[in-house]
Amino acid sequence: MSLFNSNSMSEVDAVKEEEEFVVKKHVRYFSRCLDILPTQCQSLDANRMTILFFCLSGLDVLDNLSVIDDQRGSEIIEWIYSQQVLPDQSDESSLSKCGFRGSSFLGVPHDNSKSPVSYPYDCSHIAMTYTALSCLLILGDNLSRINKPAVLTGIKALQQPDGSFCSTVEQSESDMRFVYCACCVSYILNDWSVVDVSLTADYIKKSLAYNFGFGQGPSLESHGGSTYCAVASLVLMNKLESTLTLREIERIKKWCIMRQLTGFQGRPNKPADTCYSFWIGATLEMLGASDWVDKELNVQFILSTEGEYTGGFSKWPKCHPDPLHSYLGLCGLSLTNYSQLKPISAPLNISQRAAEWLQSIRGNF
Amino acid sequence: MSEGDESNSDEQGYVYYRDRPNWKDIEPIPQDDGPNPVVQIAYTDKFKDVYDYLRAVIRKGEKTERVLELTMDAIECNPANYTVWHYRREVLQELKKDLKSELEFAEETVLNEPKNYQVWYHRQKLVEWSNDPSRELYLTAEVFKDDSKNYHAWQHRQWTIRTYGLWSNELEFVDGLLKEDFRNNSAWNQRYFVIINTTGYTEEVVKNEVKYVIDFIKVAPNNESAWNYLTGILKGGRISDHEPVLKLIDSLRSQHVPSPFLLSTMIDVYEEEVANGKKESLEKAVKICEELGSKIDPVRKRYWEYTSRRLISAYGPLDST
Ligand SMILES: [Zn+2]
Repeated sequence: MSLFNSNSMSEVDAVKEEEEFVVKKHVRYFSRCLDILPTQCQSLDANRMTILFFCLSGLDVLDNLSVIDDQRGSEIIEWIYSQQVLPDQSDESSLSKCGFRGSSFLGVPHDNSKSPVSYPYDCSHIAMTYTALSCLLILGDNLSRINKPAVLTGIKALQQPDGSFCSTVEQSESDMRFVYCACCVSYILNDWSVVDVSLTADYIKKSLAYNFGFGQGPSLESHGGSTYCAVASLVLMNKLESTLTLREIERIKKWCIMRQLTGFQGRPNKPADTCYSFWIGATLEMLGASDWVDKELNVQFILSTEGEYTGGFSKWPKCHPDPLHSYLGLCGLSLTNYSQLKPISAPLNISQRAAEWLQSIRGNF
Repeated sequence: MSEGDESNSDEQGYVYYRDRPNWKDIEPIPQDDGPNPVVQIAYTDKFKDVYDYLRAVIRKGEKTERVLELTMDAIECNPANYTVWHYRREVLQELKKDLKSELEFAEETVLNEPKNYQVWYHRQKLVEWSNDPSRELYLTAEVFKDDSKNYHAWQHRQWTIRTYGLWSNELEFVDGLLKEDFRNNSAWNQRYFVIINTTGYTEEVVKNEVKYVIDFIKVAPNNESAWNYLTGILKGGRISDHEPVLKLIDSLRSQHVPSPFLLSTMIDVYEEEVANGKKESLEKAVKICEELGSKIDPVRKRYWEYTSRRLISAYGPLDST
């Protein structure tokens, strides 16, 4: 430390300026994605809601949600609600399709919600329902226009006999990702009546692999992403301690901390990837073991995957940033208490602020 | 911008559906994103053309040959659109199509897009419908040639083996993969999957498997996957009951092999001993924790410190010497 006040002051300023610059760069990245995605992103067409979630939550974690002014904020809220698949009064079977779609890729009219008509093959996708609710919370909406019974019926239709969930009623693969989505929706709507909680917990327990990570399903290889989904689901269901023994929890914590190289890998003997700083970091946080992480190495790795000019983060150094890794990279940084980033709720994967907003409105619906 | 150039070259030779005489009867339906869309995508003209027509035929419920072709274009534009795949399956069923060429199409798409959830699911449905799993082991093995840890392919392979009882050659296949790359964690997981579902880990099998994995550990003592397999199959039993494991540990330790997995397993053995009343092993375990945190595995310094504290609080106090 310098003895001269002026010197140490200017050092502090320099550091601060640099950090502000970094924040701005990422704010620009998410703002850009919020408006328009390049042609290479065409394969995200059906999942636009998830991209919206990464952008909004990214700006929130950057403490820069204010770049979206009130007008734009309510426009976005309107767009989200326009993706709500609502029951058609004349079609009983339409209830099980309810929830949210990822975009209007089937050509459903934007104002269909005014007097909802069911369109052929138009149905919700569980990941879109989950991210739509999260987006609304981030934007400070009170969820008053959510058709709660319909959304819940839609979720109920997706649970499988083994406890896992599909993504759509049109049938799809079923795995831990969608278990997590179902748990988030039930938690946010404060209603567990449609999820068979013990069957779900059973599925999660059966997916615990011999090395004490969780796979996407029973007998599948343990993986950072599915381990996060499994543990977060148990936490949201308030079933962690009743499903896993203390010894198992200890071993899961160990499996997680063994994933740190500099950043985190998703499976043993794989390279580090930015997103696992969140998937594994958040799991350790939920299990009360985040202080085991070597933060310095972790931060160094995440920053090495930063898009130098574009902002955002990619999975590996010197790759193209994408919205998922950009958001999860930020969350990984936030879990290290990185300055200028807001703290996040590990099980819900939104800012603490948004999670608190949820608590404040949870009694109202 | 380069994006535009790319999309133009993509579209070479493509005739827009709106210009095709045999599609004149269809009124295309554009996407209606409302007055204030968010996260728009800069679709190419081809993408818009294909999906405008796809929206129209899905709305009509048309299930014909030409729609089959259209869904092929739609899948090429966006293989992640699950509704397109679903609709394509309905058309296939409606037209009672021979599944052979569809299986070929799925195979080609799997090889081009091995990380696409939708095409793997499509493949699974086709195998179910045709009740013909004969090509699945070959196909997944092809995918492993490029990426031996592809999660989708392993998931598909497990589903095939379990559904159709194709267990008989799998251990041999896994053995081949492990000899190619003993760090392939997916292959170790598959080994566990096969054994637990066939012979089970009987005393005899565990004995053989311990021998099998020890040979791999000797070659590469820093291979976490092999150590995890070793401790995984002993789950429930005690490591110290397995003479060959103790011998392995002694031999690696005497060579000062700096493997965190070796040392971690030593801690487990010491913990078993302490729990069995051998008090002096506690201090040994604590010393190993120190060695790990300060020298062998400093990334996890705090974890090893925690482990040391956990052991002391469970079995301590340490006999002060
Ligand atoms: Zn990743």
